[in-house]
Amino acid sequence: MSKVYFSTWKSEQINNIGKSAEAWEESAYKLPMQYNEHEGAKAFIGWDGVALYDADVDVVRLATEYAAQYQVYSEACGRCAPGRWGGRILYDLLDKIARGEGSLSDMDHLKEVSRNMQLTSKCEIGKTVPNPLLDLMTHFEADFLACIDEQKPSKHYHEEVGYIAKITAPCTDACPAHVDIPAYIEGVRDLRFDDSLMATRQTMPLAHTCGRVCPHPCEDECRRTNLDEPIAIMELKRLGADYETDHGFGFFHPAEQKPSTGKKVAVIGAGPAGLTTAYYLALEGVHCDVYEELPVLGGEVTVGVPEYRMPWDKYMKDIEAVRDLGVNFITNTRVTADMMRQFEAEYDAVMVATGTRISKKVRCANERPEIFGYWGAIDFLDKVNLYVKFGITLTEEEKKEYMIDKEYVDLTGKTVVCVGGGFTSMDVVRCSIRAGAKRVVMLYRRDEKTIIRNTTYEEYHEAVEEGVEFIFHSAVNEMKDENDILKSLIVDKFELVPDPNGGRPQLVKIEGASFEIECDYLIPAVSQSADLDLLPEEWELEMTSWATIKTNGKDYMTSRKGIFASGDCEYGPMTIVNAVGQAKRASSVMARYVQTGEITLSDDEIMEDQLRKMRVYDKKEKVTGWLPGLPRAHSEVLDVDIRKENNMEVNFGFTQEQAISEAERCMRCYYIAMVAN
Amino acid sequence: MREMINFTIDGRKVKAKPGETILNVARREGIYIPTMCYLEKTTPAASCRLCVVEAEGVDGMVLSCQTPPTEGLSVVTNNATLYEERTNIMRLYDVNHPLECGVCDKSGACDLQNKTMEFNVASQHFTAKEQSRKIEHWGLINYDPNLCIMCEKCTHVCNEVIGDDAIELKFGGYKSTIIPKNSEQLDCTYCGECIAVCPVGALVSSDFQYKANAWELERIPSTCAHCSAGCALEYEVKTTGAAVPGEERIFRVTNNFEYATLCGAGRFGYDFDLKGEKDADAFARAVSALKHAEAIRFSSIITNEEALILQRLKEKLGLKLYNEDARRYMAFVEAFGSTADGKAEPATLDALKASDAIVVVGSRIATDNPGIRYAVTTAARHEGAKVVYMHPLEDTLMQNVVTQFIKYEVGTEEGVLALLAQSLLADVETNKTTAAFLDELDDGYLSAESNVGEEELEQIKKQFKRAKAKTLVLGSDLFAHPRAQNIAKLAGLLARFGGYRVVIAAREVNTVGASLVCELDADNGSDANVVGYNAQGSFVIAADAKADLVVAAMNQQEGTVVSIDRHLLPMNVAVGYEGYVLNDLANTLGVGKRYTIDFTAELPTEKGFRAVPFDMLENFYSPTGEDHRGYLLAKVKKPAAQKCEVPEALPEFNGTVIYRCNPVLQFNALTARTSQLERSDALRGSEQFAVAARLRDGDLVKIGEGDAAHSRAFVIDPALKGTIALEPTFDRGFAADGNVYRFEKVNIMKVSNDE
Repeated sequence: MSKVYFSTWKSEQINNIGKSAEAWEESAYKLPMQYNEHEGAKAFIGWDGVALYDADVDVVRLATEYAAQYQVYSEACGRCAPGRWGGRILYDLLDKIARGEGSLSDMDHLKEVSRNMQLTSKCEIGKTVPNPLLDLMTHFEADFLACIDEQKPSKHYHEEVGYIAKITAPCTDACPAHVDIPAYIEGVRDLRFDDSLMATRQTMPLAHTCGRVCPHPCEDECRRTNLDEPIAIMELKRLGADYETDHGFGFFHPAEQKPSTGKKVAVIGAGPAGLTTAYYLALEGVHCDVYEELPVLGGEVTVGVPEYRMPWDKYMKDIEAVRDLGVNFITNTRVTADMMRQFEAEYDAVMVATGTRISKKVRCANERPEIFGYWGAIDFLDKVNLYVKFGITLTEEEKKEYMIDKEYVDLTGKTVVCVGGGFTSMDVVRCSIRAGAKRVVMLYRRDEKTIIRNTTYEEYHEAVEEGVEFIFHSAVNEMKDENDILKSLIVDKFELVPDPNGGRPQLVKIEGASFEIECDYLIPAVSQSADLDLLPEEWELEMTSWATIKTNGKDYMTSRKGIFASGDCEYGPMTIVNAVGQAKRASSVMARYVQTGEITLSDDEIMEDQLRKMRVYDKKEKVTGWLPGLPRAHSEVLDVDIRKENNMEVNFGFTQEQAISEAERCMRCYYIAMVAN
Repeated sequence: MREMINFTIDGRKVKAKPGETILNVARREGIYIPTMCYLEKTTPAASCRLCVVEAEGVDGMVLSCQTPPTEGLSVVTNNATLYEERTNIMRLYDVNHPLECGVCDKSGACDLQNKTMEFNVASQHFTAKEQSRKIEHWGLINYDPNLCIMCEKCTHVCNEVIGDDAIELKFGGYKSTIIPKNSEQLDCTYCGECIAVCPVGALVSSDFQYKANAWELERIPSTCAHCSAGCALEYEVKTTGAAVPGEERIFRVTNNFEYATLCGAGRFGYDFDLKGEKDADAFARAVSALKHAEAIRFSSIITNEEALILQRLKEKLGLKLYNEDARRYMAFVEAFGSTADGKAEPATLDALKASDAIVVVGSRIATDNPGIRYAVTTAARHEGAKVVYMHPLEDTLMQNVVTQFIKYEVGTEEGVLALLAQSLLADVETNKTTAAFLDELDDGYLSAESNVGEEELEQIKKQFKRAKAKTLVLGSDLFAHPRAQNIAKLAGLLARFGGYRVVIAAREVNTVGASLVCELDADNGSDANVVGYNAQGSFVIAADAKADLVVAAMNQQEGTVVSIDRHLLPMNVAVGYEGYVLNDLANTLGVGKRYTIDFTAELPTEKGFRAVPFDMLENFYSPTGEDHRGYLLAKVKKPAAQKCEVPEALPEFNGTVIYRCNPVLQFNALTARTSQLERSDALRGSEQFAVAARLRDGDLVKIGEGDAAHSRAFVIDPALKGTIALEPTFDRGFAADGNVYRFEKVNIMKVSNDE
């Protein structure tokens, strides 16, 4: 997969030394091959080995620089004796050899210190830094010995060679926002909650929110899984945020806000992507005006995610942190194409972060939106949440349209059928329970395992406990109405038929198994699409095949210069953390763009993307130095009989004791990766 | 209930309680695992890595300080491999550590020295580039980064136990160092706990530095004399080496920092001892004064034994005995007990540390009683306690532990307690009388007058929803309140029905003891024919050079005191005293004994004391932290039940109001005369106060009128808010102020600068 001259990455033994480039054997891994935007790398060195792409690499210097990076770059470290002194000794001794002053005993001392670091360091960074160094000292011993024997500098010791290093961790790599997870967990472990929050906010402004409703892809790539169970990464984020809120401190921003650059950016949409863009641009001294169509801020997390999962008073704190940096919010303003044309002229850049707010159809017979009882999930959740969180009541017209007597969504005595399987559909059915529905049914094409994978174990089980009926392997065939009022649904049943050719099993309709459900409402929550009426037609912005705005997924600029897009309107309906990650990156690109007019990625960002491509987490790795069998903490939840009648937050969060013991399970799997040119 | 975990350490079968780590169990079992960074009272720093052990079935080494065992695990604490890696760690610790043990304060008591010897590191095995780093001078504390081993004990204790959170790590690999947090210069309350926990000579007392070697000092275990928390300390005096005979003095104070904590007054405010000689004339005058006195007035800065002598003098001479501080405290405790039913025993500081919900009312607790502050900090950090702080004045020192500040109007404490009782007992089952009483309360009026709103009360309930260990801390604002008794009774309801444990924060070192030992009379305030014992009177006997008869100070006596934990604690002689003591007077008047401490065994058993002679009292913590100091007083029978009264009109304090409150580390006449503690004796007010009172920073002001009038400088304290100024009391000698409510409406006049 990667063309290498030599590689020990993950214990592979690729040695093309002396072979012609055409005959080189390839590495099995997608190794970082890029040095910066313009150049390829000549070597990659990291926690699990070293790869050379060029015969001319000065390996002694490479080893020295890697040790130096550990010294210089270790802002995350200096916190254990072996790492602190050992790292320095590694560097001093390697440099001594590289500059031609080393002795044979230095090699022994290097090995001795390396072993001590490997065995006793606090984080993986200290444990793994010696790994590639020992590889180099073993496979290129002659180069080291030559420096020692001849007392002469290594071959390129006095030349200008560039090295770019990055600290990562499996969880950080997996997190779309690349949150420095080990740092915020360490803050909890050390009971330094301000530090914890500031670590989170470096790349994730919505700490309260993503401490509650993040689907935590990081936990799927938590290295602790190799030992027992993943760390409860997501929930530990709450502690820092709660600390700030509970004690009435001002906001702990991750860095001091830069003085105003005089530049300004328009952000369309005050959801997670819009908020994130504004937050990081404001930190960089760029003024932001955020335009929001709804009367309330927060986007889909506010009007989509129910109060019992994401209490508004907490999300409001996240939003206040953004406002605290001087971000200007303009609500009740639906941005039009004309306004966009104006924005392009008035602002230095524009971010489109309008999400996906159109519920897609379930694709059944007689699926006519004008039938009373057919109610799109997004609209349904808007109405529920605007009332629960802000007391905004239904208008007379809406009451008629939704066939509701009360001023709020009251489903007493009604039967609700939701078609879905993702988070939105879970929110619909659980809100329906809380709205007093007599019967709530979820139809899902696939099985229980898949619904858990697509949402979370907790979410699914809590819904079942609250009384939602899940019908798996099912789909609506036809809506039946009387005078445009929904009466029932014809539902088909499917079964999973294995493909005799070994391909993916196919869902096949079971003939004669179809049945009818009498119901008052059908709520499609299968997916959403983007409403992009605001884009001026003459801009002819490039779109993806899913009708979202196209970018290259790295700098998030659209096909029109200065117009950026992030979040669901770019990616399609996805998670909060995905929106945050995109917007964080975009804001970094935009901060440079408004100053220079150029679209660039920083060295760090290039490395970040390369590492993600390679993947930092290795599920087959054997973990040593940690005791297995320590169970993951589970926080207490509100009793089902109490919670299904109201909108109180279901999850209490960890007790302090749980939080500390959970934080102590974290293995601090920091690694350093470095490329050389 | 979670179960005990069975496992083995070095083949020995052991059990771990839930939450215990391998290291905890090993230490409890007396199995040695070396550490350099482990501190029992904080979360593990996990920085030294010496405590690694091997576990069966686990590749590599496991860190014992932060790993709880699993069922059936077999742990090995020492073998050749472990020894070798630990030796290597010690070799690393010794890289470039300055070889200045000859002049280092820590030498002889240094963990690095000890472990270097233990692992036989006789020479520098590894080399690294040396770095030269500047020594920092932070007032009472000096920090030498060259000596620092980055164990992180100091930062942990400062944040997790003290609450100052004033120092932090500056990360940078080999260059890592400790720096003041959020400021250039160290900005803290100078508890000096960072010095105590420092295993090497990196953090030292600037006063003590270069004065003595550890082995030249004799350690005298005692109890701190400055507040009622009863903290253990050791006075260190020099008896060998360059000590000049007859010039003995205390060189420093240290503490068992693994299990006990000390504030800066205890640590740095120790030299309040007096030189004295036997002044026969003064003695004769004192005897005569006592014989003719109508009353003795005394302060609670007194041992139980002295208090008992005073009680005997009262009985023998038919005197009255005045101590408003102790008398009002006792009345408060009794009133509390009258409604608290069987739950009258005050909670201990250990119970407070283990709380997850705390309400503090009626005290500026961080300065009034640092021991309580540290317990609250510990609870906030380690238990995640929700802390509700109710007071007319916000305190920035408490901000990082307080989760809800509720400001009430001065004087309305009775209303505040009534509202608390009504709100917090609303959803619990009480009894008929109590339910009727709570129902009768006019919450609308109480809220309006006290300014404690319904939403604030609801917020407390919301915060405490999951609480399992609730504690109410009642401060000394309440004891001299005109409605003290009813306030106490209302608190009693919370103890009885609300599940609240109650800490009653006695003011002085032995307020509790004095209140138990003596039968006290109500003080009429007149000095005529009153002998003052460390208090005002027409004839004053005091540990004060200006007294009519000078007697020994608290660090010059043997005796006992009772802390807020109802814990009897011994004090010992740190520096001898040649003059007379109270027992000499007692002997002349026919009630004395050979030694003052002969009274220890006679302390009243009906009040909970034990008939134990002083010399039989222990005074130490065991290596695993059991408190072997003195004894806990026995429970006493509960007072007769009484009923709460419905609060009538709540008082109003309009105009200029002061609050009697000392600055950090100052408490009383003893701390006032020590050499290291800062003495800021100004009236402190906020910017807002200055505007309202038309004062400028630095103005000289006259406070009060008539005999009580006195002058002070006025300074603006930017940390203060609101319209109440803080007036210190520590500089007013032994003037008793235990009989007045701490807030007072006064006239403050600017004294013209021309005068």
